[in-house]
Amino acid sequence: MPPVIDHEKCIGCGTCADICNSDIFVFDRKVDKTPVVKFPEECWHCESCVLDCPSGAITLRLPLSYSLMHIDASLLHSSQTPCSASSKEARS
Amino acid sequence: MIAVKPCIEADLLIVGGGIGGLMAAISAAKSGCTNVVVMEKMHARRSGSGATGNDHFNCYIPSYHGDDIRPVFQQTMQSLIGSGKEPSLMYKFLKKSFELVQMWDEWGVNMRPTGQWECKGHALPGKPRAFLKYDGSEQKKVLVREAKKLGVHFYNHHPVVELARMDGRIAGALAVDISTPVPQFQPVRAKTVLLATGLTHRLYLTAPTPAYMFNTGHCPNCAGGQGLGWRVGARMVNMELPYTHAGPKYFARCGKATWIGVYRYMDGTPVGPFTDHSNIDYGDVTSDIWNSVFEDVMAKGTGPAFMDCSDASDKDLEYMRWAMKGEGLTSLLNYMADAGIDPKQHAVEFMRYEPILHGRGLDVSDEGETSVPGLFAAGDMVGNGGCGIALAAYLGWEGGHAAALQAAEHSFRPAEDCPNIKARMELLSSFLEREDGADWKDANMALQQIMSDYAPAGPRKVRSERLLQTGLIYVRQLRENAMKQLKVTCSHTLMRAAEVLDLMDCGEALLAAALARKETRGNHIRADFPFTNPLLGDQFLTVGLESNGEVTTKWRPIRQAQMD
Repeated sequence: MPPVIDHEKCIGCGTCADICNSDIFVFDRKVDKTPVVKFPEECWHCESCVLDCPSGAITLRLPLSYSLMHIDASLLHSSQTPCSASSKEARS
Repeated sequence: MIAVKPCIEADLLIVGGGIGGLMAAISAAKSGCTNVVVMEKMHARRSGSGATGNDHFNCYIPSYHGDDIRPVFQQTMQSLIGSGKEPSLMYKFLKKSFELVQMWDEWGVNMRPTGQWECKGHALPGKPRAFLKYDGSEQKKVLVREAKKLGVHFYNHHPVVELARMDGRIAGALAVDISTPVPQFQPVRAKTVLLATGLTHRLYLTAPTPAYMFNTGHCPNCAGGQGLGWRVGARMVNMELPYTHAGPKYFARCGKATWIGVYRYMDGTPVGPFTDHSNIDYGDVTSDIWNSVFEDVMAKGTGPAFMDCSDASDKDLEYMRWAMKGEGLTSLLNYMADAGIDPKQHAVEFMRYEPILHGRGLDVSDEGETSVPGLFAAGDMVGNGGCGIALAAYLGWEGGHAAALQAAEHSFRPAEDCPNIKARMELLSSFLEREDGADWKDANMALQQIMSDYAPAGPRKVRSERLLQTGLIYVRQLRENAMKQLKVTCSHTLMRAAEVLDLMDCGEALLAAALARKETRGNHIRADFPFTNPLLGDQFLTVGLESNGEVTTKWRPIRQAQMD
């Protein structure tokens, strides 16, 4: 889910927690050295944190349910459709 | 009771630090207003739908389009931005638009990345292209910087949860300081207020991923801001006419006009009539014109429909990726790169997203003032003033100026003493004090279920008097139950609970307006009135909450453009 913080790279500046578009981080400097992603399911995946992190410590991971549905574009330009391809494979 | 901070004063209080709010702040300060306050729910540098960028700015540029504004105006009114909007306001906007573009250019937003003014996308072949292609990736930082230069005061992490109205006129607001886990109330006395909270998401079940309500095309934290105006009696317009956007499936992102390709069926046939090959200047405008196309082709069994960019040149695809970055779609680009999805080799399926209040909401004058004196609105939350970046910039600019002039004529009043402000403080405090109760997500999803079932968007799903009346009863029941049961644990969840209450008010306004529109128009399909009534074509339906608690609807004439 959402932002993944590399705690080795994070310098604890708190920028991500401050600018987050969805307020999903919590950073209690008394307790934690780096911010915590407390509300991951509320991430918009806008990448503001990735873009503004001064140490490049954040990457974004999309939930599997957000996967982009796509096919090989060549299928749109041939007589072969995914269905016919799979049925041929099944017969062979 | 949640602690209350000392009241602050603002000549102009701006609610929301997006494009509309920031332009209002700059405009007001330049108009002589010395005490401009921006209260932003998150952080103005990265908040809202323009957080990481945008790339289309609706405008008329004489040196590019020629001396006649009318063809560009016509295209604007037929576009997603202008459809169903107030022609008088839209015409004034278009005349002013190049001035706004030049301001942004001067301040440092990259408005002509190629060195020239260039319009691309969202366009019909052979017709004037009305959308300037720009790189908005730095737009928020630039506008915040300009506002700060002029002495505008920013309060980030301060969502406004209620407005105050005294003797008919706006008097201030109640915000919550959520910068720490323990919330504190922040009352504000204001001579004028400008609402710019963006569009409203999370009212309907999220189409791509119903279990994940933050997977939305625009910013999902823009949710219910119209409800703030609603509760102090500001009238709403176009609430009943559903707006739906479209984009990639299942990762919801706007920016469909940035893709340089053709929508095709599985057999390669183009879905629309506008192009059969990729075109960098026009794109494929099919889904702008045929709003429900991706849902329709699935329902007919002829779908799905894919965005096919495989015939675009490498240079055009490089341009497309650059434009997506300027539009703030780096997460989409990075995901595609990581997943090995290459537009040259892969066709991505597109889908229709859920209904949102985009360009649905507050009814404003051509200068951006609502029906409540002293209360202005700008941006996607406005119902009759168009939507998108350029309109947000325009209404922010005009509203900020008009508000600054008004502020000079009025004095501060004790907004914090208003009964509704005190009542909201007590209500929100009760959520925090409650030992056990319902989560805000439960309430939000319950509302989404009701709205999706009883006020759905057409063309296949219908509304009727029975459905809408039932939905209205259910939303009111839900609100009553939510007020009694919601429990929050910290600043963050308190903010979400307040949003959900705003969303319920938006739902009530929508349902009441949909009941009153006794005809079928656009995606508002009334099973009991299955025709479009030409007599209603030149009128707007407004809906409002009266001071006695009654919800009223009224028809008013649409203001036509006064061409030069």
